[in-house]
Parts: sequence; structure tokens; C-alpha cells
Amino acid sequence: MTAHQDATSPDHAEGMGLFERFLSLWVALAMVAGVLLGQFAPAVPETLSRFEYAQVSIPVAILIWAMIFPMMAQIDFSAVLGVRRQPKGLIITTTVNWLIKPFTMFAIAWFFLMVVFQPLIPEPLASQYLAGAILLGAAPCTAMVFVWSYLTRGDAAYTLVQVALNDLIMLFAFAPIVVFLLGVSNIPIPWDTVALSVVLYIVIPLTAGYLTRRTLIARRGSEWYDNVFMKKVGPITPIGLIITLVLLFAFQGEVILEAPLHIVLIAIPLILQTFLIFFIAYGWAKAWKVPHNVAAPGAMIGASNFFELAVAAAIALFGLQSGAALATVVGVLVEVPLMLALVRIANNTRDHFPAAGPEARG
Amino acid sequence: MAIDVTPRAREWLRRKGGVVTLRLSPRHGCCGGGADVTVAEARAPDEPERYTRLEFEDVTLHIDPSLVDQELRVDVDGFLGLRHLFVEGTSPTRARK
Repeated sequence: MTAHQDATSPDHAEGMGLFERFLSLWVALAMVAGVLLGQFAPAVPETLSRFEYAQVSIPVAILIWAMIFPMMAQIDFSAVLGVRRQPKGLIITTTVNWLIKPFTMFAIAWFFLMVVFQPLIPEPLASQYLAGAILLGAAPCTAMVFVWSYLTRGDAAYTLVQVALNDLIMLFAFAPIVVFLLGVSNIPIPWDTVALSVVLYIVIPLTAGYLTRRTLIARRGSEWYDNVFMKKVGPITPIGLIITLVLLFAFQGEVILEAPLHIVLIAIPLILQTFLIFFIAYGWAKAWKVPHNVAAPGAMIGASNFFELAVAAAIALFGLQSGAALATVVGVLVEVPLMLALVRIANNTRDHFPAAGPEARG
Repeated sequence: MAIDVTPRAREWLRRKGGVVTLRLSPRHGCCGGGADVTVAEARAPDEPERYTRLEFEDVTLHIDPSLVDQELRVDVDGFLGLRHLFVEGTSPTRARK
């Protein structure tokens, strides 16, 4: 039997909720709300930022866990057992995610922020934006890819394996890549600070998610877990994201009001990088005759980012008021329109790839 | 029925009790929305009456009714003695609202 490859793809917004469809708008509104909060009620963010333990802001940590935990709790790590099933797709996406993307992100962001836009952005701020771009480049997407995969009629079994594999690699690769690229950029970050942020925002939520999933499925069953527990926990992520952004923008008011052009300037290398990575992975998949239902989600996973982790790491390493945090948020701002454009490209080029079938598998 | 269970999956399922459930598992996007992913589990469903029951040779399949007409292939894979059921085909089959 061959997997059914439907020529028609879902409507470009079918897999997306109202919140997600207009994410750019909500981020823009969070920006306005945050700036207003910072200007007219500065005591609120300042008070919240004072609740610290071991230099970790407790309100921010809670918000970040609220963003990340639900995504970690839905990862089925047993899917990694299928790692040999789509070797070409897994080799392409894993290589692009971990050996190409962080470095092209660094190169493109450095070229634009430090060279091309040098007259427009003061050097210390450009370095901060570069740091934010580096954090984005080192964090591959783990949740939204299911939506992008759906919209391109992707192979969900492959997507499950790739996401689980990426999360395991991220545990060990995120910190070294970030420290290396920040070091190359002359933005020194103490190893212990990076290690602390990895423990706080990757290891703890990932372990908590895994244990929660395992324990609750053993006690209540997988259907209850999916349809009752995750149904309640899943929506916490976007709520945590928006509150974090409001708080973050409350500290960013001066930069946004004085230099709103910076948002556009940061977005340019991020957009170029997303297209570049998509076409590297997609073109490679075409050269290797990978079926479209693996090539499309593989390229989407390569191109998209784990924004919540990047935002969390930027806040942990550089602070809420930092340019690095602002740069990671610009990634969130452009994500949905950008990825929908790639979905459209993938769906319009479906005929250039072999259909899925026994001969195409592996 | 367009659902296929490979011989090695049937052999593995027989040792696990000869029952498999095919259902849709929701995956939430980081920014809202999400998609349903088809998963196979070597057990009977919590509420069998909500599933379509089919006998496939010596394996009993409980299938989410929306998946019955999908062309799906249930197989087993793994290494180091660990095994994992998986489903290939058009999945996820619907957007999660």
C-alpha cells in the first residue's frame, strides 16, 4: 500500500486558531500595551523585576515555564525509535538545523546588523541584536511544525520523529553553539550563565514534561492525557507568550519609541535567513528525491525557530531590557506570515517531488 | 478499508494482546491552533463504542471513525530491543480548531 498523497492541500489557515492566524497583530498589540505600561505605570514591571532569586527573575521564569512546559509535555520521545525510517529526511533536516542554520544565521545577521546597517544602529545595540539572532538560529521549532506539516500534507510520523530528535539534540547542542557564536561575535557570556539558562529553560521543562506525560498516561491513559489534560494545558503557551511580551516591551519602550526602524532592520536578516534555510533543505531534499510529504515538513522544521526558548535565553542572558530580547521578539512578529509564504511555495511545487510510496521510503 | 497492518506489526501486536487503537492525537502549536496526528497504540481504547471495530486477520483494530477511509499503514520500528508502533499515510487528517 502506498501512503495517499492528496494533490489538494488544506486551506492555508485551516490548521490555525484565531490567535495564531493573527499572531503578528497580537505581538504588535502586546508591543503597544507594553510600551504604554512602561510609560504610564513603570512601577508595575519594575516591581515584578525585583522578585529575583540567584539573579533569576521569578515572574519571568514562571512565564517562560508557562510558555515552554506545554510544548515539552506533548513530545513523545518514543517516536525517536523510528529514527531509521526516513533517513534522508532526518539527515537533511538535522544537518540543516544544527550544522548549517546557526552559522548562516550568524553570518547573515552579522553582515546586515554590523556592516550594512552600521550607520543606522549604534554598535553596542547591533551586537545585542546579533546575539538575539544567534539565539534564534540555535533553537529549532518544536511545536508549530505540526501545523506547517499539516498545511503541506506532510508525513506526521516523520514530523514526530524529527521533533523528538531535535529536542534531544537541543539538550546538548544549544549551549555550545550559542557560547561559540557569541564568542566569535565578541559578546562574552559566562558558561555558568548559559548552563543555568539551559537547565532552567530546557532541562527542567523537558524533564517535567516527560515525567508528567509518562506518569499521567500510566495513571489515566493516553486518550485522557491528550483530550483532557493537554486540552487544558496547551492554551497556556500563547497566554504566557503574550504576557511575557507585554512585560518585555514595558522595558523596551525607549528603544521602540526612539528607533522604531530597528524592528524593520532586525526583521530583514531574519526573513532572509528563513528563506535561505528553507531553500537549502528543500533543494537538498529534491536532489535526493525525497518525497514531498517529508521534504516539505523537513524544510519547514529547518526554517522555523523555537521562539519561546530564544526569548527565554535572551532574557536570562541579557535581561528584559536588552536588545537581544527585542531581536528574538521580532522573530515572533514575522513568523506566521513568513511560514505561510513557505507553505504556499511548498504546496505549489509539490509536483516537482516524488510521491510517497514504498519505493520512496527511506 | 484502506488501512494496512504490516506482517511484522501483526506479529508484534499478537505478542501484545492482538489489539491496536488508531486515533487522532492533538498537537498544540506554540502560538495557538494545532493539528491532529494519527497515532497507533497497542491497547484497547478507553471508550470502544466511539471507535469502529475491525478485524484484520488475527488483530483487532479500533479505529477513529474519521480514519476508516484513510489510506494508512501501521508498522512497527525500533532498535536495541525497543519497539514503537507508527502510522504512515495522510496524517494529520484534520486541523484542530
